[in-house]
Amino acid sequence: MYIYDKFDHAITSERVAEFSQQVTRRLAGELSEDQFRPLRLMNGLYLQLHAYMLRVAIPYGTLSTKQLRKLADIAKKYDRDYGHFTTRQNLQYNWIKLEQVPEILAELGSVEMHANQTSGNCIRNVTADQFAGVAGDEVEDPRIISEVIRQWSTFHPEFSFLPRKFKFAVTGAAKDRAAIQFHDIGIHIVKNDAGEIGYAVYVGGGMGRTPVVAPLIKPFVARHELLSYLEACLRVYNMHGRRDNIYKARIKILVRDLGPVEYARQVEEMWPLTRASGVDVPAAEVARIQAFFAPPVYETIKEPVAAFEESKKRDKAFANWVKNNVHPHKVPGYGAVTISLKPIGGIPGDASSAQMHQIADLSDKYSLGEVRVTHVQNLVLPNVKQADLFAVWQRLGEIGFAESNIGLITDIIACPGLDYCSLANARSIAIAQRLSEHFADVDRQHDIGSLQIKISGCINACGHHHAGHIGILGVDRAGQELYQLTLGGAGDETASIGTLIGPGFTSDDVVGAIDKVVETYRGLRQNAGETFIEAYRRVGPAPFKEALYGRR
Amino acid sequence: MAVVDRAGPIADSWTRLADDQAPAAGATVIVSFARLKNEHNSLFSAAGKVGVEIAGDVKLEELEPFLPRLGLIVVRMNNMRDGRLFSIGRMLRENYKYAADMRAAGDLIPDQMLYLLRCGFTSFEVKDGFPIDSLRRSVAAYTHWYQRIANSATPVTELRHGAAHGGEP
Repeated sequence: MYIYDKFDHAITSERVAEFSQQVTRRLAGELSEDQFRPLRLMNGLYLQLHAYMLRVAIPYGTLSTKQLRKLADIAKKYDRDYGHFTTRQNLQYNWIKLEQVPEILAELGSVEMHANQTSGNCIRNVTADQFAGVAGDEVEDPRIISEVIRQWSTFHPEFSFLPRKFKFAVTGAAKDRAAIQFHDIGIHIVKNDAGEIGYAVYVGGGMGRTPVVAPLIKPFVARHELLSYLEACLRVYNMHGRRDNIYKARIKILVRDLGPVEYARQVEEMWPLTRASGVDVPAAEVARIQAFFAPPVYETIKEPVAAFEESKKRDKAFANWVKNNVHPHKVPGYGAVTISLKPIGGIPGDASSAQMHQIADLSDKYSLGEVRVTHVQNLVLPNVKQADLFAVWQRLGEIGFAESNIGLITDIIACPGLDYCSLANARSIAIAQRLSEHFADVDRQHDIGSLQIKISGCINACGHHHAGHIGILGVDRAGQELYQLTLGGAGDETASIGTLIGPGFTSDDVVGAIDKVVETYRGLRQNAGETFIEAYRRVGPAPFKEALYGRR
Repeated sequence: MAVVDRAGPIADSWTRLADDQAPAAGATVIVSFARLKNEHNSLFSAAGKVGVEIAGDVKLEELEPFLPRLGLIVVRMNNMRDGRLFSIGRMLRENYKYAADMRAAGDLIPDQMLYLLRCGFTSFEVKDGFPIDSLRRSVAAYTHWYQRIANSATPVTELRHGAAHGGEP
């Protein structure tokens, strides 16, 4: 874990003081709502349908148990006793009072947390692979460079009033669990032929109403030059990105309009200028940050671990959970547990204060005191000994989070939708809950296999529907909520955008429509091992269209 | 209209000159960029000091030849959310080494001025009644920064490794 020094503490507390006086000036009328808006957004504060929502940054999805307990306590003290983990690996409180926000920010600061730049037209919280540091297929822990980027992007004087929001994602692994090509800038840590670590930079991906898979702009940027390269990328965007139309203001539109080759050329032209201003941090500073992410001390354990293997044999439910929710660890005898925040019929990503405390306790006892948040709105205990997995599973069962559905059809991403959001056209949570109940049967879920459903309540696509194997988009048609289906999207290293399959379905009919899609897949898969996305890529949309709409 | 710097109101000696208006001999004038391009020889010889006003779509390479002789550059943005201002400021200071007064104009709020100062601006054109107390508090809100920006204090990334603290934000 990164630990703040006196400078980080000073900057964080000065920020709280600054926002506190901004709130005072707003309440006194010195600042108009128009003037205050970008300031409150850059402190994570949204005005939603019913109340203010505060989005707390969880940089690259890594939390200490002390921080998780603080999040729980804030939920209890200032909100309705729960929090919502988001696709940006952040946490949202939905019922916040404006005048209490400075106090909440001060509480966050006391555990080295903040809500900086979780909204607004600036560089947002950097997301990363949730298995950072524990995945076997990793070139380097992505949190090192993510923390470098977090600091560089914090209150950046040049890039705090960009044409539109700007999101980074970083992965250090071969398998992309961070959906980097759906970000404004996606960074893939790579090694060149000389064995040096550097960065492949993808620019101009995104969701929203114009989904784009980011093109590779630069295959290798050396470690000590990354920040100046990123500044060049951002400056070309800040100078030339569109400000006349909010729907065309993201960098993906600029890169598309210029073409990736011309965009890359302009960045190359700008790069010597940003390099000359000395923004690249000294190697000693990168080394200082890297030291915080040194691997913890693991025990030497010989596999197979007998007790663990026996428990799996004895208890099928446990075996299912291990199969789906435990990711292989680079160290023998350990596993990385994904805690499903998708109980059947529950609200994806929600956790109560009590549950957060219980997970913190579990992590202290079994996972070296660290917790991760995934962009699929689940939590991770990254360092659990195999011998302890059975106890962890049992404890999770007691708190309602032992669903063995990671990567399966009920592991649904949903945006807050019309239940909270002032932009939404339709409800998302209710659809997620009904789908979850419909597909509750564990054996059927396992038979269906890997299948990601992602639900957005409007075209802004916060529920990532474009990247869902099955995407659901809520639209408003003459006052009625309708749900359109897209098929074939993927957010991993084979990133693709789902195709709209046909006219939308009513709220009553959408669950049945998904069932038809699933049964069509089961009928046409070549064998039990062919996943939905593989089958879809083989056969295309036709059989699914026919099942949904009949022959035309 | 008033002109302020980081400490508060300052006297403004600059006169804005309409494109059809001749400068008085030895006057301190701000002209449009179009006029500067067309009449730079006569302007620089007649006026005492010449400043120019530019907008977000400026091509800095076209401005470059005049930079050594300019006494003021006013960068105007009509919308406080138009952040091109910040990039223009940095490029003029860091890359073009422009050293004289650089003024931000438009619908600005005090909370942006620290960032503008850090990007190299030295003065601001504001509406009458601009909250000076808020400006003073706002520009002093932070002691440290993470980024190395040419015009501002040593960043923490270097202070951590023994660099001396120097310069104003």
